[in-house]
Parts: sequence; C-alpha cells; structure tokens
Amino acid sequence: MMVAAETLAVSHAHRVATFLERHGVLVAFAALFLWNAVVADTAEIFRNPENLRNIINQNATTGIVAIGMTLVIVAGGIDLSVGSIMALAGAVALLTVNYLLTAGEDGVVAWSEAFAVMAGVGTGLATGLACGLMNGFLVTVGRLPAFIATLGGLSAYRSITLALADGGEIRSASASVLSAMGRGSVTLVPASVLGPEARPITVTWNILLFIAIAIIGHILLTRSRFGRHVIAVGGNETAARYSAIAVNRVRLATFVIVGLCSAIAGLMATARMNSVSSSQLGSFMELDAIAAVVIGGTSMAGGRGRVWGTVLGVMILAIINNMLVFAEVSPYWHGSVKGVIIILAVLIQRGRRA
Amino acid sequence: MLEVRGIEKSFPATKALDGVSLRFGKGEVHGLVGENGAGKSTLMKILAGIYLPDAGTILVDDKPRVFRSVSEAGACGIAMIHQELNLVGALSVAENIFLGREPRRPLWSGRLVDRRLMERNAASLLVNVGAGIDPTRLVESLSVAEQQLVEIAKALASNARFLIMDEPTAVLSERETRSLFSLIRRLAANGVAIVYISHLLPEVLAICKRISILRDGRLVETVSPQDVSERKLAELMVGRELTHVFPEKRPAPDAAPALEVQGIAAAPNVLDVSFSVRPGEIIGLAGLVGSGRTEAAEAIIGLRRRVRGTVRVFNTLVDFRSPRDALAARVAYVSEDRKGRGVHLDMNCIENTTLAHLSAYGAVFPSRSRERRAARGWIERLAIRCPDLLAPIRTLSGGNQQKLAVAKWLDGKPSIIILDEPTRGIDLGAKREMYRLIVDLAEAGLACVVISSELPELIGLCHRIVVLRQGRVAGELAGADELTEQRIMYLSAGVDRSPRFPPPTPTPPTSPPPSSNESQQRKSA
Repeated sequence: MMVAAETLAVSHAHRVATFLERHGVLVAFAALFLWNAVVADTAEIFRNPENLRNIINQNATTGIVAIGMTLVIVAGGIDLSVGSIMALAGAVALLTVNYLLTAGEDGVVAWSEAFAVMAGVGTGLATGLACGLMNGFLVTVGRLPAFIATLGGLSAYRSITLALADGGEIRSASASVLSAMGRGSVTLVPASVLGPEARPITVTWNILLFIAIAIIGHILLTRSRFGRHVIAVGGNETAARYSAIAVNRVRLATFVIVGLCSAIAGLMATARMNSVSSSQLGSFMELDAIAAVVIGGTSMAGGRGRVWGTVLGVMILAIINNMLVFAEVSPYWHGSVKGVIIILAVLIQRGRRA
Repeated sequence: MLEVRGIEKSFPATKALDGVSLRFGKGEVHGLVGENGAGKSTLMKILAGIYLPDAGTILVDDKPRVFRSVSEAGACGIAMIHQELNLVGALSVAENIFLGREPRRPLWSGRLVDRRLMERNAASLLVNVGAGIDPTRLVESLSVAEQQLVEIAKALASNARFLIMDEPTAVLSERETRSLFSLIRRLAANGVAIVYISHLLPEVLAICKRISILRDGRLVETVSPQDVSERKLAELMVGRELTHVFPEKRPAPDAAPALEVQGIAAAPNVLDVSFSVRPGEIIGLAGLVGSGRTEAAEAIIGLRRRVRGTVRVFNTLVDFRSPRDALAARVAYVSEDRKGRGVHLDMNCIENTTLAHLSAYGAVFPSRSRERRAARGWIERLAIRCPDLLAPIRTLSGGNQQKLAVAKWLDGKPSIIILDEPTRGIDLGAKREMYRLIVDLAEAGLACVVISSELPELIGLCHRIVVLRQGRVAGELAGADELTEQRIMYLSAGVDRSPRFPPPTPTPPTSPPPSSNESQQRKSA
C-alpha cells in the first residue's frame, strides 16, 4: 500500500510538472488577465473594450513578426534582422508611393493615390521577400550560422534604410489612403443591433491581419507537410536530411516567411504613422519577438514550438506593459520587468529535460 | 571489493531495478548481460554516481557509501567508460587524461599547470594501457579505439580500482577488440575489478570470469562461463527458449540486378567498390571499421559526393544528390546511427513512420487519418511495441526505434533497401524479429544490402557477402562452404593469400572511369 501511495504521489507531481511545462503560458496568461480585469484597482479601465482593443492593436506588429519568428526558431534558426527588415520595407514602400505621386513635367500625377499605395505595398512586401531570401541563402547555401547571417542583416538593412532616408524621416505623400489603412477598422456588430446609445463593436485592420496570420501560422505548423518538415529539421537536421527532406529548402522557406511577416509589420507601422523613422521603426523588434516566442514555450534549440503560445507570449508582454503604465512605473524600469518575465518563463517551461 | 545490496530504482513509467544484489571482486572481470531495459545501464549509473538509488546500499570494501555525484564515486575508485566516449576533442590527450586533476606548478599558489610533468605522466599511463599515442596530440585526431584507450588511461590516472565498461567493443574492429581484451586481462591481473557490459555474448563468454544476467530489473543468476553456452546465456536473458535465430534461407530468384555499383570512389575512404544485388536477394557488406562500408552506401545514396564510378538502378544510370533523389528512384538507406540519423526522438510514432514519404499523404496538408492508418499498419506488421501513438519515441526501446526507422523507409515503398548495422544495440528478441523482417522483405522482391560487423548475422542472412578492405572489394563469398567467419576475417584483415584457402573471387572488372562531364550532365536540380 505504501508503495502504491508513493507511486501515486510521484505521478501526481509528474503530471503537474508536465502540465506546467506544456500549458504554463496559458495559466500565466489567464492569471494575468483575470487579475487585471477583476482584482486590480484599475480593472474597470483595463476591461474596457477600448483599452483591450488598443492593447492588441499596438502589439499586432510584434505579434506578426513573432509568428514568423516561431517558424524560424522551430526550424532551428533565428532571425535578428526582423526590425531592420520592417524599417527597410516601410521605407521602400513610402519611396515608391512618393515617387508615383510626384507630378510629372506636365504637372499631372499619373497615378491615383490608391494605386500608388497598392504599388507601395507591393514593393514593401517584395523587399521583405528579398531580405528573407538573402538571409535564407546565407544560412543554407552559405552555411553561415543563422545568428551571424541575420546579425549582418540587422546591421545592413538598417543602414540601407538610414541611407535612403538620409538618417531622418520619410514622410508619406499619400494624404489619406495610407493612413486610412493604418487606422481603419471594420464594424463587426453595428450599433443598431446592440440597441440605443450603444457603440458599434469594431476591429482594426491591424488586429484582423494579426488574427489571420496567427491562424495561418498555426495551421501551417501543425497541419501542413511543410510544418512537419520544419519540426523535423529543427529537431534533428541530420536525421531530417537522411529522411529525404529537402532541408535547405525548408530552412530557406522559414526565413522567407519571417521576412514577409516583418515586411507586413513594417507596412502596418508605416501606415499608422504615415511616415518612416529610419532609425526608430522596428528597432529592438527582434528582442520582443524572440521574447514572445520563448515565453510561448517554443524551444530555442528547435524542433518544438507552437504559434498559439507565441500569440499568448505577445499578449502577456503587452498586458504587463499595460499594468506598468497604469501603475505609473517609470518606462526606464519596464525592461527589467520584461527581462525577469522572460527568464521566469523559460525556467518554468524547461521542465525536467534540463 | 564493491558490493550492492537490494538496489531499487524507479522512473516515472517503469521500475528499472527491483532489489538487485551483486558483488564485484578484486581482479575479477564480471560480465553483466541482459536485454535492453533489463536494468544494466541503470545499475551502472548508480554505481558511477549518476543516479541515486531509491533503496538499497552500495558497499566499498564493506563500508556503506552513498554516491551523490560522479566525483564521489570516483573518490572511491569507481570509473565508468561510457558507450559514447566523454572526451574533449579540442584538448590534447594529456589534457584529457588529467582534466580537472592537472599537476600544478608551485608558482602563483599553484594556478599554473605543469604541462611537462602532465605530458610525461600521460605518456607512461598510455604505455601502461598499451597505446603508443603522443600525449600532445588532439583527441579529435585519434581513432575511436585510441580514444577508448585514452579513456581507460584517464580512469587509471584517477587510481580507479573498479572499471565499468559499457559496450566497449561496439565501435572496435576485431583486432582492436583483441588488444582491448589483453589489456583488460592485464588490468585484472593487477587487481582492478572490471564490470563488462555487452550484448555480444561470445565476447562476454571469452573475457569474463563470472557473468550476471539481469532481466526486468532483477538478477536472474550469476554463472561461470564454462558452465553455460552462448545459447543458454541468451535464453537466461530472454527468459524463454530460443529457437532458430535466423530464418531459413531461400534461394534468390534469378533476375537482372536491381542495383549495380561499379568502381565507385568517394572521400574519405572509398577507393574502388563494386557490387550488385538482384531483386529478392540479400547481400552483405562486411569489413573492419574504416573499410568504407558505410561511406560506400552514403556515396550511393547521395550523401557523399562520388568522384568516380557508376551506379545503375534497374539498368538506368543514376546520380543521386540526396536521399530524396534516391527515394524517388525507390532506393532507401537506413543509417547505422539510429538516434542521430535514423529517427526523430522527439516526434511520435506516426510522424516518424511517414516522415520520408509525407507527400503521399497530401500535397500540402497530410491526412491525419491516413497517416494514422499507415502507422498502425507498420506497427502491426513489424510488431512494434508503441503503447502511445502520440508520445515521442524517445521512450521506446532501441529495437522498437530501429523498427520504426525501417518502417519509415518501407513506407516509401522502396525496391532496393540498404540496411546499415540494422541490429546494433538492440536485444536478442528484437534482433530475431529484424532478421525475419529482412528475409520477408527479400521474399517480397526487395533487393537488400545488409552492412554489419557481426559476422554470424551476415552469414545467417545473406546469399552473398562482399568483403571490403581499405575502401576496395577484397573478395566476394557465396555458398555455404565459402560463407564462414574465417573466410570473411581473412579477406577483411588482408591475409587472403594464405595457401590454405583458394584465392578470393576476382572482383568484377572495373570499367574505365567515366568522363567527368558525364556525371555533370546528370546533376539534379
């Protein structure tokens, strides 16, 4: 009987540890959310839909980059150049828009504003694609460690942006269309349904894009052949090569994906500001994105990861930031709190395999 | 004297040791055998201070001891030579031997290493173990056998009186094994107690004075080698009577070759290898470690750049650039390195089975139900014991992992399969099932190439055996009178001109090396 009881105790502790290891991020998010929305003094402000929507909206760019980063990290890589790609994609997009909206010699602008913005979005995305390809080729064909290759990108893409903007800011010549995209929202439930004096429930384009990319990323990683190959390559690259997987193609694709995600995030930020600050846009984005990925329970060693965890990781960081703002903690201290959260998250999730 | 009494150890899922008591006497070579999962490794890790037992005591010279760490065990004179060697490749031999115990110079309160003294001491230790290795050489430049000797020298440097050796010959050639044995005998004569763990029963019978058999975490019996046969020992390990280990050989059907390899060469040690295999035929590739067997297979499959020679699959010239190309032409290679290259330990049974051939389950989104059905089918066909389809296969036994590695390739429906050391490190029951599987595959029309260091295995399975020596074909053997361990050994060791034996079968005439642009034309995308 003694033995049975002991075994039971062991397996109970084991189960709790396993649960925390797998779902710690969910528990942390739920606890944080409930505390903020119910217990805290500022609960009323926090749970105001306006505030919640703002939190998500402000962190949609980080979220999109972090989702791409999840794929790269699961495949055993890392991308430090995401912030610089954001800035470069935004700058290229704006320069395209401005060029197309400049009046010709005859004083006539050939392009309508909407088309110019579309073209800008196109060149911005193409920039992200090109940067992703560059990183990917350096890592696969060039056989550079991902850390080094993208460290180069971090420096180079930012410097190109600074050169394009002459170190300053690029302002958009688009008067309304671009910023409308950045700030625009969609009505989900019109006010008339909710009754008199109610405000309609709306959602910004940024949030919709974030949700869509999260869903695509999740399906890609868990359901698709590509996702399985990503996990296999990150888990054991040699075994993957021996298992008839085109390892280089898979790794290259992950860098292209994160490049595109960064470009999308860069365009979103550009649209919101209707300008690009060549030194500020996306700076330190790589750290926030990697932090969210790690908090979300993805293994830095590759082979194990999940997109939903990353989304929660982004939201945890966002809520904590919100708390610190409410508590009027000096922004200088925010970094330390974030640092502690990251380290705690990894310590809890490292579990028994360490 | 080292003794354990009533040792128990449980892991979350299993009870690894259930009341084991053993004594290891001074100057004794004590064999420890058992199937995978019998508890050998756990017991040794407890002795070496890696695990703490749940119950029971360890006595060193009749004094009870508790080993909380490897260094506490080391302080009592216990050293372990792991199957995977634990040396630092970028350090010299001497630095490895004295790692953490470097002789100091009196200067600066002993913060400086006395390199010259260290190297002198290392040299004399190396002579002791019969290795004439320069102590200043980097460990990564040594052969595996030399590294093992360095490990032993390292253990002796710490005044080890109890030496635990886990599968020490798994990576050694026959000749290296023989010299290791004479070293073990010398150490034993000097009073070192040696615990010898191995799957290779003939070796255990040859070197050990007493043999303890573990099964399911309990001690079955301790026997003397002269009282048991190899077969009896195997039966004690498995706990049932073993009938024929090898299935009956059926004649290979007459057919055109499925795979024809002609004069291939590849870095670093494949110089001139030719052989062919017909559908339904099982051929063996024999040779000492370093003879180029694995490298030749890797050159065929596209994992190594071939610099010369041709490979034909069903009479079509092929030039695979990756295992992907090879599988597209229905050629599969199951690696010898199961954990590093064969399977993904963190993926589950289903994912491992379908990984090489996932496109068959859907171009973009593989059908989960079809994958599950396929995995179930292989699990049933190969009798894989996989209690949870969705659990990482890390926890499965070596034999079951090996079967999954084979299943992964069979799922791609190959017509030619190269199996590299298919039974390395798996227990007897699983070995027998693997043999059955290989014979069944041949019967179903697959052309099978088996690479193995275990000669009885090759002789028991193969229709023909191609023996490699230093990257070239030393000879080809076929028929019951030629397929003997002796003939294979003579060929692989290069003493085939012995008058007692007819000259080896001539190697097939090698065609002139193809022009380089021929191979370049077939470069795959």
